[in-house]
Amino acid sequence: MATTTTANHAEKAEIFCRDESRVDWHSKALWLLRQKRDRAASSLPEWEQLRELGSQYKLHTLSHLGQYLEQFEANCLKQGIQVHWAKDGAEHNRIVHEILAKHQVKKLVKSKSMLTEECHLNPYLEQHGIEVIDTDLGERIIQLNKQPPSHIVVPAIHLKKEEVGELFHEKIGTEKGASDPTYLTRAARQHLREQFLSADAAMTGVNMAIADQGAIVVCTNEGNADMGGNLPGLTLHSMGIDKMVPNMEAASVLLRTLARNAIGQPITTYSSFYHGPKPGGEMHIIIVDNGRTKALQDELLAESLKCIRCGGCINTCPVYRRSGGYSYNYFIPGPIGIAVGAQQDDTNTTAWACTLCGSCTYVCPTKVPLDKIIAYQRRLKAEQGKLPYGKERYMPIVGKVMGSATVFNCAMSVARFSLRHLPHAMLKPFSGAWGKYRELPKAPKTSFDTWYKQNRSK
Amino acid sequence: MSSKSDILAALGSGALKPHPLPQVEIAPRLDDLVGQFEASVKAVGGTLIRDNALAALQQQVASLVADGQQVISQVADVRGNRATPEDPHALRDINYAVIQGELAVAENGAVWVTEQGAGIRIAPFICENLLLVVRAEQLVANMHEALKRVNLENVGYGTFISGPSKTADIEQALVIGAHGACTLTVYLL
Ligand code: SF4
Repeated sequence: MATTTTANHAEKAEIFCRDESRVDWHSKALWLLRQKRDRAASSLPEWEQLRELGSQYKLHTLSHLGQYLEQFEANCLKQGIQVHWAKDGAEHNRIVHEILAKHQVKKLVKSKSMLTEECHLNPYLEQHGIEVIDTDLGERIIQLNKQPPSHIVVPAIHLKKEEVGELFHEKIGTEKGASDPTYLTRAARQHLREQFLSADAAMTGVNMAIADQGAIVVCTNEGNADMGGNLPGLTLHSMGIDKMVPNMEAASVLLRTLARNAIGQPITTYSSFYHGPKPGGEMHIIIVDNGRTKALQDELLAESLKCIRCGGCINTCPVYRRSGGYSYNYFIPGPIGIAVGAQQDDTNTTAWACTLCGSCTYVCPTKVPLDKIIAYQRRLKAEQGKLPYGKERYMPIVGKVMGSATVFNCAMSVARFSLRHLPHAMLKPFSGAWGKYRELPKAPKTSFDTWYKQNRSK
Repeated sequence: MSSKSDILAALGSGALKPHPLPQVEIAPRLDDLVGQFEASVKAVGGTLIRDNALAALQQQVASLVADGQQVISQVADVRGNRATPEDPHALRDINYAVIQGELAVAENGAVWVTEQGAGIRIAPFICENLLLVVRAEQLVANMHEALKRVNLENVGYGTFISGPSKTADIEQALVIGAHGACTLTVYLL
């Protein structure tokens, strides 16, 4: 879903970049995650094999998805789990509300679920008088701060501990000026413990849904999904159709790569298999499409559904690290956010928030071809006549110039001449955003083509 | 049409050509499983007791009980001072839970706990401190081996627990003790 604001990626990134020391700090914090990931990955000689298996299992499942969804539902029903199907976010929210209303739920505790973010569930339930408490520490922080997540795994990565301290002082009564992470985390533990104990129902996201078992797997480090899921009698679990895996063996592959790639841990603290309601309780699973079947109609976009939301591609992205999670006009930032959300960005700029360096594709545990998909998203935008301002005018010309060797060589010799003989002040405006923080290059006397002919092609 | 049939119909025209079901063929690392497990438990913030583990556990629990700590034990031969309630909320003041695990995984220090072993699903999470017991012959190399052995029939809930609960959501600083147990000790029998 597109955000209401119309500022484009570069404008939003510029706001983030005003505080240079914060940008450096943000970039370093994410690079640290990337380094931890590298250590965890290189500790397994079979790492590349696991990536290939992850990709193959996902491709197999996605290419037989109808069959596996039906098998999954049948097995869930046998376990006494109630299964619901939702075409879109609105239907998902309606179903959730109906279940909660039937049980007169006033307070819902919720662990991390990007899907409920995608469906805008919280505001919907709040409008219907249900209090929703996000229980992941990072999510609780941004909920109290009235902000969306700026990252899919570490949602409050944009905030400094002093800011969290200030927020907690105001909202949950911690000492003024206190910013020690351990102190703040303990305070949040106390605060949320009360919420867990007084909740009427719990909701979680789903990391994997195992077709031949009728079980779902939920992974957390904090234990918040299980504190919620195991206290009140009523639990709900929302999943996109892409969370399906065929069997336990497939789950074992993803359980080995998910946490290693996300944060460099060998596995999350808790990997919980929910396989039926607790005695006297009710368990509901809501299976959501919301555009996924449409993505599956396109061979390349379909591969974006292999994603297991580890966040690895975001941590490594040189653009994300320096532009922040709020610059993307989509609730998922970074490479995967562009891959699945570019078409919903009505500023037509996020598809260009990428250098096509390919680092994301290289780290992805299920081999989502992110750079290819991002380039493709640009093409789709171009075909719709929706190139970002500026590019729209010159890109077709660039195409023509680069397509003809004679025209290209002529153009380049004009460029070399201009760079060598005209004042830079006159040329700089032509370099656009690129030249804003850069000096123009010194031009060589001859073209590479001429140089090559003289020196190498003998 | 129902949303289910709409979704299934839309899936019928997907663009991906059928891909075969792969299989995991990865040789497990079998050298010094106990040593691997010990290193993993330590790396994820837990403690492993491997010498005279049962006696050590019994002694530990006896002194906790003598101290007036609230201890729930689901392990035969280890006596706590709290019974398993029907309402999970009744365990809100539990200091220690002693629980039998069914499998242990060398590569990541995880122990597989089922609702049967935990007595009640909330037990391993709501306690301040978690003491897990697992037999050495139930130690496997990695998650492929572990999930080959996990049987979910008659298990409505089970969880792999690797270390105490933790978070790094404030400035990436690791803090042990988020919402679940703040300490984890594994007793290897
Ligand atoms: S695209 Fe790959 S690297 Fe990025 S979040 Fe998804 S699984 Fe992780």
